[in-house]
Amino acid sequence: MNAGVRFALFTAIGLALFPFAFHAIDGYAGLATQILIMSIASIGFNLLLGYTGLLSYGHAMFYGGGGYVAALLLIRVMPQQPNLWLAVLGATLAATVLALLVGALAVRLYGIYFALLTLAFAQMIYFVVEQSQDWTNGDDGLQNFPAALLPIGPYSIDLGTALPALPLGPFGNLSDIKLWYVFAALVLFGVMVGVRALTRSQFGEVLTAIRENEERSTLIGFNAPAYRLAAFAISGALTGLAGALRALYDGSVPVDAVGIDRSGSFVIYTIVGGVQTLLGPVIGTGLIMYLESVLSARIDYWRLIEGIVFVAVVVFLPAGIVGTISKKAKERAQKNRALLTQSLRARNGGGDSQSESNDASRRGASAPGGAQAGPERLSK
Amino acid sequence: MILETKALGKSFGRFAANADIDFSVEAGELRAVIGPNGAGKTTFFNLLSGTTEATSGTIFFKGNDITRLDGTKRVHLGIAKAFQTANIYPEQTVLQNCRLAALAHTQGAFALELLRRSGRLSGVDALAERALEQVDLGGVAGVRSGDLAHGDKKRLDIAIALATAPEILLLDEPVAGMSRDEARKTEALVRKLASSMTVLIIEHDMDLIMGISDSITVLEAGRVLANGTPAEIRANQRVQDAYLGGHSEAEIEA
Repeated sequence: MNAGVRFALFTAIGLALFPFAFHAIDGYAGLATQILIMSIASIGFNLLLGYTGLLSYGHAMFYGGGGYVAALLLIRVMPQQPNLWLAVLGATLAATVLALLVGALAVRLYGIYFALLTLAFAQMIYFVVEQSQDWTNGDDGLQNFPAALLPIGPYSIDLGTALPALPLGPFGNLSDIKLWYVFAALVLFGVMVGVRALTRSQFGEVLTAIRENEERSTLIGFNAPAYRLAAFAISGALTGLAGALRALYDGSVPVDAVGIDRSGSFVIYTIVGGVQTLLGPVIGTGLIMYLESVLSARIDYWRLIEGIVFVAVVVFLPAGIVGTISKKAKERAQKNRALLTQSLRARNGGGDSQSESNDASRRGASAPGGAQAGPERLSK
Repeated sequence: MILETKALGKSFGRFAANADIDFSVEAGELRAVIGPNGAGKTTFFNLLSGTTEATSGTIFFKGNDITRLDGTKRVHLGIAKAFQTANIYPEQTVLQNCRLAALAHTQGAFALELLRRSGRLSGVDALAERALEQVDLGGVAGVRSGDLAHGDKKRLDIAIALATAPEILLLDEPVAGMSRDEARKTEALVRKLASSMTVLIIEHDMDLIMGISDSITVLEAGRVLANGTPAEIRANQRVQDAYLGGHSEAEIEA
């Protein structure tokens, strides 16, 4: 079974089992759905941070923007026949266009300047939303918009429909799960498979190259700002998609959806889970949202706890939870491979191939194929 | 005339790093650019490669004005550069360093269709592998390039430039910091490359320069001091004076 199929299979199984396992630790099905939706935004945020090195502190403009556009499409454009596809598609397109406009200016900046410019744009959007009372309902946000149906062929599906009842002991009841969860899981699954393919494509290789050495990349002929803009647009699109789904699922868009706290939450979710990993943003989103929800119900200082978790991860696990685990696993695999090579060499009386010993003398250590800890380094 | 500059200048505030440079190279020529430290050689190369924008004058490539084109566009025209300090992707394999350059050459400055391609493009691999063979690094294609020895890193930098299929190659001090053996190997490489493309080279190693160049341009204080064959330059009194101003005689003799 190749790695892509295995990844798809494990992801599908994980998404199918998640709400039941979640129930066993006091999570509820609605929160599970929200976690999946927010994970899409975090994956989008991570695509930018992980593959271009640009930290956006304004992703709420895409998230909240997507939410408002989806809601307004339902309220103003198709109140009679609320179509979920069209609302989501329209919102995602709007977020993409916004990302292209903001990105055209922002992708030439780096580091703190990029973060500040994205923050400034997001704050502008926030004030526009807050002031446009007639359209957005100002501080109160939009509620009670028509529940969108999902037309598939001749059917119009109400995602609020629950699955059939089936008691599962400590894992709750199948009927806790609404079709919304299934839909969100399918979208997240598609996003994960798509983003995995993207980061492994040659496009992903070029992004990685530009992040590693921009000067060289421009002088071999890559238009670095154009690649960064493309990454920014895809990132904004995914975040806008998540915002639209969340608005439709919740049936409301609070003005906070475009607020600075929301922008910060994507930073936290992603860094806690692990930048530059595919699963990291999902795990980080799930963990923080779970803590927020469970802790806020029981403890007054849950924000403090959240802060401590964030600081602890940054200090002790700078690669994030998933990043640290995968790094450890990689190191172990390399160590095993090196030991294996070593024992093979010992058995063959040393120097098993001409090219390999050449390589080793040229670079000190490391086996062909890019493995780090070569036999020489270990034996010294 | 493949490359030509007219009254080219670069000023940083009131300091003129390059001024009034009239310069021309024939296709196929191996031209050295020499001069004392601070003469403006690297600035001149940066103006030619497009990493620095000229403040005056004009640059022509095959008769077309390229003064306002950025470095990325110039690479696609066929002007490539290897850096004074090896400028590579240390985390990538040796082959991947060249593949990236070959990818940019074959796919253009920006290609969204790369999103759809996860497989290998055969033309890209062939171009990258040929570039590696040219600098004799084919045997370490799978090695992480950051682990290479100093001389190999510098030759990899040249291979990256070659993988863009250049017509004119700018080499900024290709043997600087190399051991005698490495330097000899690189010298042979430069000779070989000069047979198939135009090469401009900045170098302080006068043995090497006098031995391999078709012609030499001497810069001093940002201006052209002299042009000529190695023999003419060696005999030029002004050049000797410029070098003796702050440098050992051995550097220009030999």
